[in-house]
Amino acid sequence: MSRRRSTTVAAAVSLAAAAAGCGFGPGESTSGEVTLTVTRDYGANVLIETSEEDPAESETVIRFLDRETELTTRYGGGFVQSIDGISGTVADGRSIDWFFFVNGIESPRGAADVPAHGGDRIWWDYRDWTDALRTPAVVGSWPEPFAQVSAGTERLPVRVVCLTVRRPCSDTVERLAAEGVDASIEPRRAVAHADAEALRVLVGPWARVRSDRVAATLEHEPATSGVFARFERAASGWRLAALDESAAPVERLGAGAGLVAGLRAGDDPATWLVTGTDGAGVEAAVGLLRTDSLAHRYAIASAGGHEIPLPEGG
Amino acid sequence: MSSPLAYAPRGGPFGGVGAGAASLYLGALAVAAFAFSNPIVLAGAGAAVVVAGLGARAAAALAASARLSLGLGVLIVAVNAITAQRGDTILVRGGEVPVLGQIDVSAEALVEGGVLALRIAVVLAAFAVHSACVDPDRMLRMLRPLARHSALTATLITRLVPLAAADHARLREAAALRGPAAAPAGRAALVRRLVAGSLDRAVDVAAALELRGYARGAPRDAGPRPTSRHSWRFAAAGAAIVAVVLVARLGGIGDFDAYPTISIAASGWTLALATALPLLAAAPFLGLRGRHG
Repeated sequence: MSRRRSTTVAAAVSLAAAAAGCGFGPGESTSGEVTLTVTRDYGANVLIETSEEDPAESETVIRFLDRETELTTRYGGGFVQSIDGISGTVADGRSIDWFFFVNGIESPRGAADVPAHGGDRIWWDYRDWTDALRTPAVVGSWPEPFAQVSAGTERLPVRVVCLTVRRPCSDTVERLAAEGVDASIEPRRAVAHADAEALRVLVGPWARVRSDRVAATLEHEPATSGVFARFERAASGWRLAALDESAAPVERLGAGAGLVAGLRAGDDPATWLVTGTDGAGVEAAVGLLRTDSLAHRYAIASAGGHEIPLPEGG
Repeated sequence: MSSPLAYAPRGGPFGGVGAGAASLYLGALAVAAFAFSNPIVLAGAGAAVVVAGLGARAAAALAASARLSLGLGVLIVAVNAITAQRGDTILVRGGEVPVLGQIDVSAEALVEGGVLALRIAVVLAAFAVHSACVDPDRMLRMLRPLARHSALTATLITRLVPLAAADHARLREAAALRGPAAAPAGRAALVRRLVAGSLDRAVDVAAALELRGYARGAPRDAGPRPTSRHSWRFAAAGAAIVAVVLVARLGGIGDFDAYPTISIAASGWTLALATALPLLAAAPFLGLRGRHG
C-alpha cells in the first residue's frame, strides 16, 4: 500500500471515529444540570437527591450513580444489584429490584449505556415489580418528558389533545407554559391518531379519552399498562379503582375523581392522561399538574381534594 | 521430555510432605488471592507462591504458569476494559458499538482488569506448584474417604492436570518428530487433542479404580503411607496463612475499590499483611536443607 493511500485510510478511520463520538479523555461538557433522585417503594421514600453541573460527554447514568452511592453490579456491570446496601431480592415470592427512568421514561437499556446530559432528570427507584415489570412512563419527573431540556434543537412537539370543554385544556397548556414548555391544543379529531412524532397530553373525561389507542391500555392490568389504576363502569358512569403494588383495588373513587398518568406504546413518545370520572374529575386532574403533586410519583389520583399516589400505599 | 506441570519427585523439604499438608499449604495461598482484591496484598500472595515454588524446587512450574498467566492476563485486562463501563477517569471514548453498547475505556476498568489478572496468576501459580510437587496417587488416597463412590470425580480432580501436562509433552514431541516434510501441528489442534485425550485418560483411570474396588475403602492391612516428618510444618504454615487472611478480612484490612475512582488501602496493616504472607510461606523451609524424609 502506498504511503498516500495509507494516509488516506488513516484519515478516513479518524474521521469515522470522530463522527461516532470517539476520542480521548472524557470529552466536552454538556451544558446544564443533571439531577439524580434515588427513592424506594414507588417513590414513597426519597433516599438521595443530588445534581451535577455541566456533565462531560462521556457521563453515563451508572457513572453518576457510582459517584454518589455505594454500588454493586451484575452481568458485566450493566445491571445495578444494590445501591447503598439496598439489594435486589426475592422475598415472600415478591421480586424487588432497582429500576431507573430518564426524564420520566423507563430506560430500555442498561445504566452503563445511557448517557447523562445536562438537563436530564435521572430517577432510580427500588420497587416491587412482581405485578408490573414495566412502567414505561411515569409522571414523577415533571415537567419532563415535555421540557426536553437535554434534547437541544431536536425537541418533539407537545400536543394537548382536547377532549372536553376548552377550559381544562387551556389550563393544561398554561401549566406547561409555566414550566417553559410550548404546547399546542389539538382538535378532538386528533384523538384517533396516536402521533409517533409528538408528546401528547390527552385531556378529558375517561368516557372520551378511552377511545385513544394508547389510553385504552389503561383498561388492562398494571402488568400491561404500567399504571396502578383503572376505570370501571359504574351505574352512573365511571369510577376509578386505585390499586396497590400487588394490583389489588384499595379503594374505588366515584364522581369528581381525577387521574394523571403516563403511558407509552412501544418506542413511541410518551402519552399522558389528564382525565377523570367526569368533568369535575378532569379539572381536579389538571390541578395536579405541578411539581409538588407529581414529584417522585408513578401516577397520581385526586378525590375530594385529596391526592392519592399510585400505587396506593406505595 | 516431561511437562513442568507434571508431577515428579523433587526432593527437598517439600518432597515428602503429605498430600493433605501440601494442599493446605498451597491452598491457603490461593485462598489469600481469592480473599483480597488489594494489589499490594495480591503482590504479597504472589511473592508467597514464588517462595513456596522455589522452596519446593518447582521453578519450572512457576515459569510455565507465568507464561500462561501473561497471555490470559492481557486478555482479561482487554475484555474488562471494554465491558466494565464504570470509572471516572475516561481514557478513550469508543462510541457506541452494536451489540456491545457504549465502549469507553477508563483507567479504573484497566486497573480492575489488572487486579483480576494478578489474582488469576497467583492462583494458577499455586496450583502449578501443587500439580508439579504433590503426588497424585497420594491425593487420590486422601480423597478416597471424601469421594468413595465417585472414582471419576476423584480422578478428574487429582489426575486431570498431571495427565494433561504429560500428554501435552508427548504430543508436542511426537509432532516434532514427524519430519521436515510434515505440516506443522497448530497449537489449537494440540490443545483439542489434549483436552479430549485427558478426559479419556481420566475416565480410564476411574474405570480401573472401580474395578480394583476403590469404592470399598482401603484394605485393612493398608496402613498410612509414611510422610515427611516436616508435614506438620507445612500444615501449620497453611493454617497460619488462612488464620491471618481471615483475621485481616474480618478486620477490614486491605480494602480495594476500583470504582468510581481507584481507592487502595495502603496502611501499615496492609503492608504488614503483604509482608507476612511470603514470610509465613518461607517459614516451613527455614532451618531445613537437602532431602529429608
